[in-house]
Amino acid sequence: MKVFARAKRLNQRTLLLCLLTALVAVSLVSLLVGAGNVSPSQALSMLLGGEDSEAYFVVWELRAPRTLIGIAVGMALGVSGALLQAVARNPLAEPGLLGVSAGAAFAVALALVLGASAATLRISVAQLGALIGCMCVLGVARWRGVGNDPIRLVLAGAAFSALLGAMTSLMLLFDQRSADEVRFWVIGSLAGRRLEDLLAVLPSAVVCSVLIALIARPLSALALGERMASGLGHHPQLIRALVVLCVALLVGAATAIAGPIIFVGLVVPFIARAFAGPDIRRTLWFCLPIGPLIILAADIISRVVVAPSELPLGVLTALCGAPVLIAAVRARRLPTL
Amino acid sequence: MLRSVLRHGLTGVLFTSLIANAQARELDTAFGKVEVPDSPARVVTLYEGALDASVAVGVTPIGAIATRGGNEVATYMSEHIDTRQLEMVGVARETNIEAVLRLQPDLILATPQLPEEQYRLLSRIAPTVVPESNGLSRENWKAESRLYGQALGKEAEVDEALESVEQRAASLNQRLSEAQVSGTAYLARWMPAGPMVMSSELFATGVLASTGISVEGEGLVKEGSAHSDILSLENLSMIDGDWLFLATLNDEGQQALDAAEQSSAFTRLNVVQQGHVVPVNGQVWSSASGPLAAQAILDDIEEALLP
Repeated sequence: MKVFARAKRLNQRTLLLCLLTALVAVSLVSLLVGAGNVSPSQALSMLLGGEDSEAYFVVWELRAPRTLIGIAVGMALGVSGALLQAVARNPLAEPGLLGVSAGAAFAVALALVLGASAATLRISVAQLGALIGCMCVLGVARWRGVGNDPIRLVLAGAAFSALLGAMTSLMLLFDQRSADEVRFWVIGSLAGRRLEDLLAVLPSAVVCSVLIALIARPLSALALGERMASGLGHHPQLIRALVVLCVALLVGAATAIAGPIIFVGLVVPFIARAFAGPDIRRTLWFCLPIGPLIILAADIISRVVVAPSELPLGVLTALCGAPVLIAAVRARRLPTL
Repeated sequence: MLRSVLRHGLTGVLFTSLIANAQARELDTAFGKVEVPDSPARVVTLYEGALDASVAVGVTPIGAIATRGGNEVATYMSEHIDTRQLEMVGVARETNIEAVLRLQPDLILATPQLPEEQYRLLSRIAPTVVPESNGLSRENWKAESRLYGQALGKEAEVDEALESVEQRAASLNQRLSEAQVSGTAYLARWMPAGPMVMSSELFATGVLASTGISVEGEGLVKEGSAHSDILSLENLSMIDGDWLFLATLNDEGQQALDAAEQSSAFTRLNVVQQGHVVPVNGQVWSSASGPLAAQAILDDIEEALLP
């Protein structure tokens, strides 16, 4: 039995390695393929040492930043989805579905209307909005009846998102100038984002990594039930608060850079659990390559389907993610977390 | 006695209605023939081109709609009239019909894109003049202005305004060619993810073309659409002509340029390095139309392109 378990662990390691290799491959494709007229072969020969200033510019100045940003956003959304699901004990809890992203978007729109210039304040404002959204959602999750039923929580989240969306629209109606700036941001996209944006969220990323490393074990204990976790010497309230903080920092940062991108936080842990089983610690490891894989794949598709223009990434993830949600809900039995 | 009073009264009624008939004029509009009063006094314009044409012929409306992306009429209007007098009755996308009703207009000048249901409602308030919609074409605005001018009983004035635009464009054309300024140009709006290229069949691009600059962009903009989807930053070289006119819906075109210059894909374009990017006010260049807007555009072109 022990041997069997070890073999399974080993298998998971190889799986994780495979996923990492796939991520490297997709990143390479992301550097090679675009809406422009620099072809994959041109880009490849430049990468192998050829002299082509146009290809150099397109690959290093345009495609490389958005690839890096895609990787970061994918990791943040995947991990925050897994965390939120673990703490809400609900496999459908997803930052985008539950209104955390909507909270971040609302906060940014509010800041823009009040006159903040877009880039500077955006990240901390979005994180604050995400935190408030997160707390609202978990507050709802703890209501009697709602927390026990995954689908009702999602419905509550959808209502909450709709409310925030309506308030955002209302605000933008009064201020058409900001509407013009915000309109394209609320769809979600990786195009035209700069590396400086990524550097600006680096501190939050470091804080989150440390926090997650600290809370992963207590969080998996929490899956055994609150009493059991307390019995093992953990503090459920504190763990929950830290997880909420992490999710808010991650989703806020990702939303500030790329705009609200929904369903990724649902799909990524969904796949990760299929590989890793129910343990949150392993799930988190698997989320790290799967999130970027999905974001990058979607971004590559978004570049080529309507060339010379580009499709917004948020549209594409919503198109692909919605069927997964429906499949998950229609599956006979939702896994309990 | 009674009879004679009746007869006289009846004749009187007949007579006045005859006079009224003589005073009302009939116009050919998109929704058929419309009778308009001889000298309308309370005019509401539900289209920026209608406001522009009215003001150009010396009629200040009592109500108008806000410019696209704003809460007021376009700022260039304040050079011609006191815009605070104008009651706002909606935005380009949506007219507040109750606000129109409250103003009790005797003439409504509406957009060629007015839906029929809206027309039915509006025409119960006052005679509503809707120009024929002919798809995207750079010459549309002239026929529209003429119709609005006719509706206002100012045919001579509107012809004069259009004539003066044409003359000015022709003289600018000549001065530009004397100064050896020529080439290709694009009109675009800058978005963080890339530019939206405006059709070369719009009002503003038409005015630009009348000065001898050749306006490009039709290959990028889908047929029948006013602008393209957001062009990928990788394809910016497609708008690398001799001139690039960059508009925002904000007042300040400069802001659009500042935003664009954050992007290295933009700054490496030839047109940028030559300093041939002209920031322009999108309220005039991508929202308005009419003789006054045309003059404002010609002002911009003269200032930017003539050495």
